[in-house]
Amino acid sequence: MRIRLDPWPVDTHSAQLTLTPFRGNVFDVEGTWRAIAPRPLPSSLRRVLVVDGKPRMEARLLLEDDAQELSVAGFGAYAVGAVDLCPHGTRQARFHGVEARRLLAHSGDLRLSAEELIPKNPQTGRLIYDPLRFRGTDVLGAQAAIQKAMLDAERALASALASALPLDEEDPDMSPDTLVLQDGPVRVGEQGRAVLGYIKSLHTDYLGADRNPLLRDLKCGERTPILRFTVGDTGEGASAGGGQASGREQRFTWFVRLAEAEFYQHPLAGVMRLEMHAPEDVDFVPRAVRDIADLSGTLLCRLGSVPHKDGRAPQNLVPTAALEQEMGRRLGNAELVTRRIRAHLAGQRARA
Amino acid sequence: MTQSSPIPPVLTLQNIGLIMGTEDATPTGFWFAVLPGASVQMDDLVAVQTTKPDGSPVRFFGIVDHVRTRHEGVKFDSDVQDVIDGILPASVSYAARVLVTRVDPEDFIPPQPGDPVRHAVGEELALALSADKMDYTFAGGLLSDGQVLPVNYQFVNGEQGGHINISGISGVATKTSYALFLLHSIFQGAVLQQRHEGHNTRALIFNVKGEDLLFLDQPNARVDEKENQVGARKGYGAQGRYARLGLPQRPFQNVQFLAPPRSADGDAIVPDVSQRSGGVTAFVFSLREFCERRMLAYVFSDAASSLNLGFVIGNVEERLFRLAHEQKGGGTGLSVQDWRPDESGEIPEDLSFDALGGITITNFGQLISYIEYKLLEEHDGEGDKKWVQKQNPGTLRAFIRRMRGVQKYLSPLIRGDLSAEQAARYRPDVLKAGIQTTVVDIHNLSSPAQMFAVGVLLREVFEHKEKVGRQDTVFVVLDELNKYAPRDGDSPIKDVLLDIAERGRSLGIILIGAQQTASEVERRIVSNAAIRVVGRLDMAEAERPEYRFLPQSFRQRAGILQPGTMLVSQPDVPNPVLVNYPFPAWATRRDEVKVADERPAAEVGAELLGL
Repeated sequence: MRIRLDPWPVDTHSAQLTLTPFRGNVFDVEGTWRAIAPRPLPSSLRRVLVVDGKPRMEARLLLEDDAQELSVAGFGAYAVGAVDLCPHGTRQARFHGVEARRLLAHSGDLRLSAEELIPKNPQTGRLIYDPLRFRGTDVLGAQAAIQKAMLDAERALASALASALPLDEEDPDMSPDTLVLQDGPVRVGEQGRAVLGYIKSLHTDYLGADRNPLLRDLKCGERTPILRFTVGDTGEGASAGGGQASGREQRFTWFVRLAEAEFYQHPLAGVMRLEMHAPEDVDFVPRAVRDIADLSGTLLCRLGSVPHKDGRAPQNLVPTAALEQEMGRRLGNAELVTRRIRAHLAGQRARA
Repeated sequence: MTQSSPIPPVLTLQNIGLIMGTEDATPTGFWFAVLPGASVQMDDLVAVQTTKPDGSPVRFFGIVDHVRTRHEGVKFDSDVQDVIDGILPASVSYAARVLVTRVDPEDFIPPQPGDPVRHAVGEELALALSADKMDYTFAGGLLSDGQVLPVNYQFVNGEQGGHINISGISGVATKTSYALFLLHSIFQGAVLQQRHEGHNTRALIFNVKGEDLLFLDQPNARVDEKENQVGARKGYGAQGRYARLGLPQRPFQNVQFLAPPRSADGDAIVPDVSQRSGGVTAFVFSLREFCERRMLAYVFSDAASSLNLGFVIGNVEERLFRLAHEQKGGGTGLSVQDWRPDESGEIPEDLSFDALGGITITNFGQLISYIEYKLLEEHDGEGDKKWVQKQNPGTLRAFIRRMRGVQKYLSPLIRGDLSAEQAARYRPDVLKAGIQTTVVDIHNLSSPAQMFAVGVLLREVFEHKEKVGRQDTVFVVLDELNKYAPRDGDSPIKDVLLDIAERGRSLGIILIGAQQTASEVERRIVSNAAIRVVGRLDMAEAERPEYRFLPQSFRQRAGILQPGTMLVSQPDVPNPVLVNYPFPAWATRRDEVKVADERPAAEVGAELLGL
């Protein structure tokens, strides 16, 4: 028996590697299953934006309406933003549009106005919680509502920032000048934009035993050929010729190695999965997607972090870590916010 | 961290920063974040206004003593590479620390984070430097932003305080130049006119190194060039540093130069200077004066090394004084009746016997021989009881040995062969009417002779001022205080300097002293100086307690000060201030002297080419 280490710290919410088998169909769309060397960054790519979001639950609430009916709610907040950088390093990276928003997530039909926490000290600023309704009575609903609001904001930011990307078979002139790197899988509604989702952990095994060995053999910067799959494909419709899967979004995906795995780590330690939208049921890879796949190794090796600075290295990219820190700063000190909420509620009672 | 947001609205023309909330802001010091687009350097004077809860304002004035930049939002030192490579966003935090010099009114509340900071100019500058509390000021130099540092004259001339002390490494600290600049500023600025003291304020300058100070009355040929360079570099425009300071760009006026004679004998008494041919007067003391005015003590620089020796000196001095009083007729020698040279072991040459068998002592060597005769040879080696006063012969011999030791050096200065007129002509008169500045050149003298000359001249000034009192301030400029008033040991000259330091203030004798290392100078002399100035210091020296009046950051900086830059501390302003001062308008070497009929080079060239 050989024991290998998962590189991520145990206090992160999951391991880097779990590899639950994907039950749906995965199609080879780029020929032979082999390692593909990275290409240099094209000079036409002027701008890369790393987009991320951060949700936070600030207080769980119980609302009591005039009829003494109880319902669950929560004060929460999220921040989204981007790091704007030039992939060629011609200018310094900067934050772009990092903004925080506070929400009062509630269920039921209550008509609520924004809750405003007025500071005692004029320098500390106001906290305004806008109402946000969610369905159901589950206390986790508030948290989910805030998470969803964040994802929507993140998607809106990503698609607003990215260049248009028509997915034709061969169009050499359509290489994007602005590429958005989005934390997590790409989302519905981002079609036709140069948005590249990066998935830090390998939780789903799209490859199967026959293809997996290539992941071990990838050198730094090298990628696998591009695959196509359908989101949410459980494999049940496979017998019906894939017709069941139609109507659902399809994705291109490939794997890139960012760093060599240390001898004590599992062999997929430096590998990351990337994802882009795919047009429905095509058996070719659009030129633009292939170009992005070709440069992804070069770009991500540049942005990857190092283990002594980031526990989730190299997948947690350098700009992402900075963005997370900045978003945390925009959200404010959680302890102080909790204290403000308590003071606010106490003040309401005193006024009543 | 900054976003690509517009410049904050608080950056108006005058605001340069906001007080930081991440460092303590106290009534004595605070940090501020410099706003984008603003530039703050050390020594900038700044003002802050904060508002008390009742709405009344409190203003803080201070001096920037530390500035720094760093990346914020990054954790590792090596992150700078990622930032420069353009993959890690970070912003530069540019912050400055301020030492508060004044709180107005004196409500010592802290300023608030976010209070805007601005450069102190005009009225605020005056408040920052407490100039509003000073009745009479003169320029102490230019601040880093080109404004004038006012120095309180009443803390210089003895009314509220007195004396100036300057420390710094030789050569790079430009101590003497700054001392002369201060004198220039006092004499030729407006302060003396305001006080109606212009005609009778004087300076006595001892030139201890080279012949640097023998051209004080000559214009400097390089001053325009140097000042134009500085003006161009600092962007002063048409107004040069002298104009900014309100001082004329001209050499010292009404100067006399005194130098020791070249040789010990002969009628021609020629000053011993090599660079300057005219305008220097030789100075000598007559032998009779030497005795009459009790100068013997200044021959011994280590009188305190033995109690008995001090006793012998005192007694011999008294005997010589009496002898001088018994002299009849003119002349500068001493006529003695009781010297039988044949009883001496060694008979001095060229003794002149007079008709009555008496001998006239005409030089310092003979005087020593006479004293030796009286102490050790008369009465078969018993000596004259009145002279010996039961002292041990060993002590007496030590006394003579020391006299012999300095004979060579003092002989040119103490002459007994001059006529009364010569003696009067060559007597150093440092308080001569019509003379504002007297330069006494002692750099060619050996150490004992320097001690002697400085000691005697200072005592003369001191005695004069004891008679006439406080008015007519006399500034005494003396470098190398380490030598004249060392911390350890006693000497007559140290006593005079201590007297000046401690009582001179009330008598109107102001010591502008300088030394390489204040730690090696008598503490009472340094501590009595109201104005303290520091040029480039040795780093180890800067950490000694004598420099504790400098805050830590200033002490560190004292090690890197450039020539022409000084740190000035005065009682009215709690923190020292860094100033620069202009290139001397007077020549400091012969080749710097501006020739009066200097013609443009092109004209001379044309002539040479026969055009």
